[in-house]
Amino acid sequence: MQKHANKYKEADDSELVKAAIEGDSNAFGEIVNRYRQMVARTVKGMLGDTVFAEDLGQEVFINLYNSLSGFRGEAKLSTYIQRIAVNLTLNEIKRRKRFFSMFSRTDDDEVIEYNVADDSDNEGKRDAREVVNKALMSLEPKFRIVVAMRMLQGYSTKETAEILKLPVGTVLSRLARGQEQLKNILKARRYENQ
Amino acid sequence: MKTNEVKDIIIRLMEGDEPDEGLLLKLREAGADYSFSEGFTDRVLASINKTAIVINRESEFLRSFSNVFYRIALTGIAAIIFLLISIYISQGTISFDSFLGLTDANNESIISVLTEN
Repeated sequence: MQKHANKYKEADDSELVKAAIEGDSNAFGEIVNRYRQMVARTVKGMLGDTVFAEDLGQEVFINLYNSLSGFRGEAKLSTYIQRIAVNLTLNEIKRRKRFFSMFSRTDDDEVIEYNVADDSDNEGKRDAREVVNKALMSLEPKFRIVVAMRMLQGYSTKETAEILKLPVGTVLSRLARGQEQLKNILKARRYENQ
Repeated sequence: MKTNEVKDIIIRLMEGDEPDEGLLLKLREAGADYSFSEGFTDRVLASINKTAIVINRESEFLRSFSNVFYRIALTGIAAIIFLLISIYISQGTISFDSFLGLTDANNESIISVLTEN
């Protein structure tokens, strides 16, 4: 599979989409390889580094595969994939919220943390990821998504607005409020650590 | 990188319209980045193939089901036409009574048949 996939390494997104629609799984495999990290940043940034996030990541690409024939190329493929990832992740968060509310739990419980074992991590890296993870999970979902897009994907305000289909002003205000919440959360955690 | 440095970078990344690429890189290098586990692409492709096989099986079942239904329906229509023709030939008319075989029967004879007298 890998050998065949190499012929698509240099191909641009539109070529890959065309080949994938025609049923070439190697072309689709290359799309997955190209955008898997981007999807991981969105999904894991929102849900935490969990096995559920891995499953949801798979679902993102399965959804993409099923909707590929409807992709008209008006937006970039990365934007299209990002929208699928964001929508599925937000749906998952809503589903969890409903599930946990049945057991009268608080909003903070919406994220179930099952850390995927990663032996390659050294302690310092794990610490940094934990800080990011905890900071993101402490935010409300509507702030978390814009903060994750900025902090993990490096998207500008305009790009975030385009992906989330929100006005730039809304993204800006959510980012500012997210930053404010983050400051408080991280400051509190700093005192906790001392 | 120390935890406090990571926290400072996180806060600073939120400033401005675009994030500072240098800070973003630093944060990723510090380990604050996510990726899927090994073999993710293969698992996605396997799921897609599995789904495609199930869909193919379902559509094959539906196709064979509709073929069988089509044959049964044709046979049924042929049987009805044959019945109507045979009724017309034997009774000379096609009516509800002739369909039930009651064209020659009058009320008395029917009553006597039903009451066995």
